[in-house]
Amino acid sequence: MNGEYVVQTENLTKKYGEFTALDGLTIQLEKGKILGFIGPNGAGKTTTIKILVGMALPTAGWAKITGIDCSTRSREIKKLVGFMPDTFGGYDNMRVHEYLDFFGAAFAIPRAKRQKRVDEALETTGATAMRDLFVESLSHGMKQRVAIARTLLHEPPVLILDEPANGLDPTARVEMRHILLNLAAMGKTLIVTSHILPELARICNMVAIITGGKLRAFGTLDQIMHDVREKRMIEVQLAAREDVAKAAATLTAVLGPQAQVQESLAEGMVRFTTTQNDAALVRILAALVDAKIAVAQFRDVPQNLEDAFLSVTQAAQAPGKADGEKIAAGGGRA
Amino acid sequence: MNNPIIRRELVGVLRNWRTAAAEIIFTMTLIGVVLLRWPTNAQVSLSGRQAQEMLRLFGYAFMTAMILIVPAFSAVSIVREKQAGTLALILNTPLSPWSVFSGKVAAISGVIALLMGLSVPAAAACYAMGGVSLRVQIEPLYLLLALASLEYTVVGLYISTRSNRIDAALRSTYATVFALVALTVIPQEFAQGRLTGLPAQVCQWLAAFSPLPAILQVFGQSGVTHAGNMSAGSAVLRYVVVSIVVILWGTRATLQRLNSGLFDRPRSAGTITDESSGGVQAYRRVMYLWFFDPQRRSRLIGPLTNPVMVKEFRTSRFGRSHWMMRMIGACLIVSLALMLAAARGSEVVNTRTMGAILVILQSALIIIMTPGLAGGLIAGEIESGSWQLLRMTPLSARSIVLGKLLSVGRTLLLLLLATLPGYAVMLVIDPNEKTQVVEALVSLVIMAVFALLASAAISSFSRRAATATATAYGFLAVLCAGTLLAWLGRGSLFGFTLVDWILRLNPVAATLAAIHAPGFGHYGLIPLTWWIMAYGCGLAVVVLVLRTWRLTRPQ
Repeated sequence: MNGEYVVQTENLTKKYGEFTALDGLTIQLEKGKILGFIGPNGAGKTTTIKILVGMALPTAGWAKITGIDCSTRSREIKKLVGFMPDTFGGYDNMRVHEYLDFFGAAFAIPRAKRQKRVDEALETTGATAMRDLFVESLSHGMKQRVAIARTLLHEPPVLILDEPANGLDPTARVEMRHILLNLAAMGKTLIVTSHILPELARICNMVAIITGGKLRAFGTLDQIMHDVREKRMIEVQLAAREDVAKAAATLTAVLGPQAQVQESLAEGMVRFTTTQNDAALVRILAALVDAKIAVAQFRDVPQNLEDAFLSVTQAAQAPGKADGEKIAAGGGRA
Repeated sequence: MNNPIIRRELVGVLRNWRTAAAEIIFTMTLIGVVLLRWPTNAQVSLSGRQAQEMLRLFGYAFMTAMILIVPAFSAVSIVREKQAGTLALILNTPLSPWSVFSGKVAAISGVIALLMGLSVPAAAACYAMGGVSLRVQIEPLYLLLALASLEYTVVGLYISTRSNRIDAALRSTYATVFALVALTVIPQEFAQGRLTGLPAQVCQWLAAFSPLPAILQVFGQSGVTHAGNMSAGSAVLRYVVVSIVVILWGTRATLQRLNSGLFDRPRSAGTITDESSGGVQAYRRVMYLWFFDPQRRSRLIGPLTNPVMVKEFRTSRFGRSHWMMRMIGACLIVSLALMLAAARGSEVVNTRTMGAILVILQSALIIIMTPGLAGGLIAGEIESGSWQLLRMTPLSARSIVLGKLLSVGRTLLLLLLATLPGYAVMLVIDPNEKTQVVEALVSLVIMAVFALLASAAISSFSRRAATATATAYGFLAVLCAGTLLAWLGRGSLFGFTLVDWILRLNPVAATLAAIHAPGFGHYGLIPLTWWIMAYGCGLAVVVLVLRTWRLTRPQ
């Protein structure tokens, strides 16, 4: 093993002809961490995953799992990684225990241990009651559990899960969250892709945001949130609705004509975005008070991972932004 | 074109490059058939014999093409929509089941009509030679083929509503069409002139399920294996009546199934005999002889067993032991019944004739079962997304391919073994047939291996199980049935040497020649056909290994 990192990529690049699917990705991940790997469709997530599981070769750079090169020793990588693709990959006329038995046998788990491993995997994922059901008759949520059980059979230290919460109802989503947190507690290192960012924010220690094949942000959730907070949104709740227009005019006068000030008469609220610090906000509040506007609340709207993601992706698309520039970087280590 | 189903289906089919390819191949085949026998000098037979022979060949080629093409469209039409979820969407629109059904029939008929239009120049060439009647021969031929196409379209659509898998729908439809075209003729063909009264009537009406007797009558022939006078009664009329009945029945049955009830099925409860009450366990153990109980909890895969092979057995319907036993039982009964008939009624049939029937049935079993089982071996995995899961296991490409081939190979071997008692009885009746039986069995085994390897190789080129299965069916049908067209035109259209040369490519013909079946005894196809098939097997193995290696290596 190379240092303390379980997953490492260095300048990982993949080109399909003239098209660059992945451009110089460098990340590191420690044991027991959960990395949320997010990005819009076509960002390069699946390409990265394919390289990590040995299904694609990088054009440049390298990827290692527990120090083993993913491209040159892909046979060993298969034993180190449990991969759950976004499609279930089921077989007709097969019961769940037969399905898991097949994959257990494919991973050369000795027959004497296999039954125990299948039972343990089903228990870990809360799927014990499904063991005699036919795979094709399972609901989507059940299939996701069985798919995770399948990845656990050969006891890999790293799990790569592509959209595990996709299409799940709220209850199943909460249960899936608990399963993933339990796996991390068991010492597994997880890489999870998802478009359900609030869900991801609840389980991930680390976040990597990728767009256009480039890593735009990487670090802990707090680091990402801090770094991407280029603009703050302030919400001013007024005591009287009739003051909305006056408050908006005052804010525009203080912030300048370029300021983005939104009025909401229905809510009796004015919102504005600013890059200024807390001291400046004190002056803005004082200006409103001086203008005899009764302010009920003046608060910084908390940003979540979704906001951070949008901020990063929009910034990446903004003209003038250097193509390879990383917007937020949390040190690249976890 | 007010029906949106017609627009979507027909335009979708016509835009497909495969349809264009099928049309080109179809047209080129018909043109080739006509050109092959077109007079090379300025002399034309005044009796019109040459034109008649050309028309016959054209008609048989046309019918073979229809039998191959129609099921490929109709069998997948509804089951594919079921799998994609679009059938549920369609049934939730104000479109009536009749609109859906008629739209699909019209779309498939549109493609067939196009093919018929493309065939007109070839038919016109036959007519232009003189001696061929437009009213008595060409028009009835087109009418019969149109009727047959409509019948197989309706039958295919009905089977499609009953199937949940594309490969199963294709397999069942091709098997049904084969039974309707060929099996129904066998009793009449071998009992012609020997049976009278009710048995003869039954044979005639059974044969009326096939368009063959009607087409033979249009051409002024009486049987497949020999030329002669027209059979008694109107085979054309009988076929028209029977096919209309089949079409009406198929339409009604399909319409009854085309509703939301198709999706109103409970999920399997996953019942296991091991956890049932003592009485249920005892009952099922007796009824299924314990080992063949489909609800028995299966044992873990053994240490020396290829896991892919076991997986294939468990996921394939005919791989499950209870289904396998049913198939083996049916084969056993048919083979013994045939030999029993040979032993008891030597006036009507003899062992050689029964041997020929046995060979035809075994060949049909191989040709119908093998593409259905092997056509989706690789393509089915890719389509379902499970191929990338297999790639993520430490299994090598060799293990995957071997496991898949063994699973189908074992099924075919068991089915062939089940028909052996028939040959054993045949040898008891006539011990002099030993060499012929051994050669026939070797030919059958080689045919099965070739069909398996060719289907699997074709499967490795496709990403859709339906395409791969249909292509494998088409390839084997052209090889085994298409080349028999030359045999049908033997003596008159094609010389002995040419027919002999063409039949060397046909494993069914080799097996029939080995058993000295009527009409095949003069051709020396063995061992040359064995060698050709062996080279074909070798080529298929190389292609399969290369393709699988390519599919398993990192991108």
